[in-house]
Amino acid sequence: MEPRIPERFRERYLPVVDDPDAFLACLGELTPKSFRVNTLKSSVAEVQARFAGYGIGIRQTGWCPEAFVSDVPELGGTLEHFLGSIYLQELASMLPPVLVRKELETARLVLDACAAPGSKTTQMAAIMRNKGMIVANDIDYSRIRALKFNMEKTGTINTIITNQNLLHFPAQLQFDAVLLDAPCSGEGTIRKTDSVLQEWSERVIEGHSHRQKQLIVKAFDLLAPGGVMVYSTCTLAPEENEGVVDTLLRERKDARLENVSVPGFRLSPAIMEWDGAQFSEEVSKVARVWPHHNNTDGFFLAMVRK
Amino acid sequence: MRRRITDSQYKAGKEAPAPSAADVLLYLEERFGLERALFSDYGLYATSKGRIYIGPKRLVNHPRIATVGLLIARSQGAIKPSTNLLQLFGRQVKKNYVVLGRENAATFIGGTDVKVTSGEKGDASDGYVLVRYLDFSLGCGMLHGSDVRNMLPKAKRLKIAYI
Ligand SMILES: C[S@@+](CC[C@H](N)C(=O)[O-])C[C@H]1O[C@@H](n2cnc3c(N)ncnc32)[C@H](O)[C@@H]1O
Repeated sequence: MEPRIPERFRERYLPVVDDPDAFLACLGELTPKSFRVNTLKSSVAEVQARFAGYGIGIRQTGWCPEAFVSDVPELGGTLEHFLGSIYLQELASMLPPVLVRKELETARLVLDACAAPGSKTTQMAAIMRNKGMIVANDIDYSRIRALKFNMEKTGTINTIITNQNLLHFPAQLQFDAVLLDAPCSGEGTIRKTDSVLQEWSERVIEGHSHRQKQLIVKAFDLLAPGGVMVYSTCTLAPEENEGVVDTLLRERKDARLENVSVPGFRLSPAIMEWDGAQFSEEVSKVARVWPHHNNTDGFFLAMVRK
Repeated sequence: MRRRITDSQYKAGKEAPAPSAADVLLYLEERFGLERALFSDYGLYATSKGRIYIGPKRLVNHPRIATVGLLIARSQGAIKPSTNLLQLFGRQVKKNYVVLGRENAATFIGGTDVKVTSGEKGDASDGYVLVRYLDFSLGCGMLHGSDVRNMLPKAKRLKIAYI
């Protein structure tokens, strides 16, 4: 069943999506249950063997050996979930750390600028094998409880939590890698929850866009020369995605984009023109995730080098 | 909006004052056979409330830190190891563990106290123990005779369907 999608939402996206029918049909279905193996606590092979023993069918994705889709919804009731050997996470949300896996493996100082509840913090800690250091920051103290809980559950040691407005984050620190998983209008998560659509409006999008442009410049300024930043959102709105990256390129001349590619995962090209405005050519290096292409949430990824 | 953090205030960049943190390491070694070397890659930190954490070796001076790494023990009065520590380093525990059968393990994960046979408790002595199922480390229990009191944090307890 299609969710009640606002007319204006259709007007915005149906003309730019490759297959409007598949897109709309997909929005009416729930995303499949997915998880990642937490290699701080277990191995992929061990989890596979245990799930085979339970008779729970799981399927490894082709783009991340730790990422799995499951046939049954009750993953939360498994011993592995209790032990923190698996972490329930939407597939698209696993992309940002995967994109910079190589860099993370050797990074000494990493900033997760908007970290709570820590899905990506704990994923990065696993990739870093608890080495180096992650500063996991979030402005919202009430969400930090969940971040703390998830860190402890997954056995994350190499991380400290800070509770700051990123815009006021001290400028002295310089990070090898920065993840800016920005607060956004969440259009890509419609499949999970109706509430996104109930609050949906272009005013809300504009508000997020304005804030994201400040955040991306600040996050870039915290990057050490040679460092890499991922900017990600779970929304489809170009104002919150390509438009934000375009602003960074105009405001920081030393910002370079790198091509976003995740072998085995279908990514789509940027929207290069929106609302009469043309984005800079460089913006074509970012990637969009349309929900119906990989049966995930909608998502956006940009990779920036200083 | 910013809120002040009052419950755990770290002296950023400073290691915990020796006694409490060192005592905890000694305790873990004596009680569980967890060698010091296991923690040598990490820094050890104490809060004013006697909570001991392991985290990155070096911290930052700014901004103010809300939490470091992983809580390994509380050390007000007696030292109490955390379930999260015992889960993470459980495979290295050499003594003072009990091994539960399947049904008892599910009960324990649900948050209930359990009883152990002398076979299940081996030569564990009264006090905090690691609770195991097969070679999985479930967490912390308090052994008293044949009773294992459940020390799992409430938020971790789970009605388990697959074990
Ligand atoms: C999309 S969520 C992050 C999800 C998280 N990265 C994860 O994977 O679990 C965005 C987060 O940004 C935080 N946030 C919003 N404005 C912020 C700001 N100015 N500084 C720091 N964090 C902020 C919100 O509290 C929210 O937790």
